Amino acid sequence: MSWRNELLAVWAVTLRNALMGARNVFFFFELLFWPIVGVLSIGLMSRFLELTEAQASFVLVGTIALSVVNVCQLEVAYAVLLDVWSKSLKHQFLAPIGIRHLTLGSWVVGMVRSLAVFGLLAALGRWAFGFQVLQPGWLALATFLLGCFLTAWVVGVSVCALITLFGNRAEAFAWASVNMVLVLAGIYYPISVLPDPIAAIARAIPLTYFLDAYRAHYGFASEFSAPIATGLALSVLYAGLAHWAFLAAIHRARRTGLLLKMSE
Amino acid sequence: MLAIDARDVEKTFRSGWPRRRETPALRGVSLAVERGSIFGLLGPNGAGKTTLLSILATLLTPDRGTVMVLGLDVVREAGALRRRLNMASGRPSFLWSLRVAEIIAFYGRLYGISGATLRRRVDGLIELCELGPYRRIPYSDLSTGLKQRVALAKSLVNDPELLFLDEPTLGLDPDVSVRVRAHIARLRREQGITIVLTTHYMREADELCDEIAFIKGGRILARGTPGELKRQIRLGEVVALRLDPVRVPWLADVPGVLRCVEVDGWVECTVDEAEKRLPELLRALYADGVVIRNVQVREPELEEVFVELAK
Repeated sequence: MSWRNELLAVWAVTLRNALMGARNVFFFFELLFWPIVGVLSIGLMSRFLELTEAQASFVLVGTIALSVVNVCQLEVAYAVLLDVWSKSLKHQFLAPIGIRHLTLGSWVVGMVRSLAVFGLLAALGRWAFGFQVLQPGWLALATFLLGCFLTAWVVGVSVCALITLFGNRAEAFAWASVNMVLVLAGIYYPISVLPDPIAAIARAIPLTYFLDAYRAHYGFASEFSAPIATGLALSVLYAGLAHWAFLAAIHRARRTGLLLKMSE
Repeated sequence: MLAIDARDVEKTFRSGWPRRRETPALRGVSLAVERGSIFGLLGPNGAGKTTLLSILATLLTPDRGTVMVLGLDVVREAGALRRRLNMASGRPSFLWSLRVAEIIAFYGRLYGISGATLRRRVDGLIELCELGPYRRIPYSDLSTGLKQRVALAKSLVNDPELLFLDEPTLGLDPDVSVRVRAHIARLRREQGITIVLTTHYMREADELCDEIAFIKGGRILARGTPGELKRQIRLGEVVALRLDPVRVPWLADVPGVLRCVEVDGWVECTVDEAEKRLPELLRALYADGVVIRNVQVREPELEEVFVELAK
């Protein structure tokens, strides 16, 4: 496949997801409602508990990361979910495209949407609670967002693999596992407060390191020696594994007939 | 030259846990389809038609056997093959919020078409499938017939050399069915596309297909041109008579008459050889004082062949 065709296939998926998102009122709901509710409730709780400015920033970073990862990973999962819901999966896999086109195209839309969510929450956090997302600087912020996007890609592609492997019934499990990953990554607390076996799992999650690196700029000592490098390395490793798992799930679905069943 | 060369294809679906249930769908199917022909796959529900079609279209992998489509192996060379084929289903489904033109354009881009070429292709297909007034209508707002036309338009977006049509006129109004059939015939005539279709409508198969295969229980029971199949099954020919009085009890006992049934005021006698039996029948009726108001001789319908094979 030529580069032109590669980019065209990615662009086709990007455009499709963007059009679907723009025309669905529930997509706006998930884009605005839950993230705003999250920042307001956590911000107000931090005020009630009389947390210091640094402590409030710590939990607000977690809340914003949660929304950014959730919105972006959901969009990546739409690479398969939209076709599963509309029963058009077989048309997609009848076309000469690979899963990279589906996931990358969806990821692009996910990043744009979660950047919009991030901008909105950053403005709300500053206006309501005096939280400064740019306090660590542009580079630190960009790295943090990159970490969130990479985590979202890994989670989203894993959800795609699970749904392609087990069918629609895997949806509930997929969403539960996403939230489990986010909780383990230390969204509202440093992972040092977790019991040792669970902290070991948390150390295997890339987002843990990106949160740690970003929070270090708000005065919290880093728990790791090279968090960004570790986070990036883990992200690349998991991205490869998730891609392979999705590919294997598609091959299996072609063998078992699940691909057709999900289109009926 | 063959568009499809499938040999000893087997496919079994496995389901259930912890007890595995095995459902054989194809049991050693072999099939050869000439390029530029329209090939019909007929059979009752659950016969294996859609399974076979899905294997040929690379959506399903066979358990055993070799399948070459357009000279490429459907398993090892599926990626290259997908560029050259396409498929439309009688139960189409696309993303609900996308508009007609957007659906065709989306799939066009997946096949590497862009810019002015894509715009021309989308416009051309919308015109071909008579979707002009609906191009900006979301898919979910379309009627069943319009959805099927969208599916047909989408299936032509990459100018396929081989087109699979799974029950293309299922649930359509008769006038729309006639137009869809005309489209299919024109595609083969004007563009030389090889078409493999499954259908429950025997008249459709009789009208469109150069060759037909009857499949049942995962096996191909018979194949040939519609005429060959009718002869192969030895159903005889039908002599239809409009008589006064309508009922003539002794007709079924005349030598060479296989059976007689009364349909809408006509007595339909299936005979072994119409040319030989018709004069004998007419003579016997005249001798008995029966008034003969009308006579027709016809071949058996493909439907009768289907019923015979499906028994």
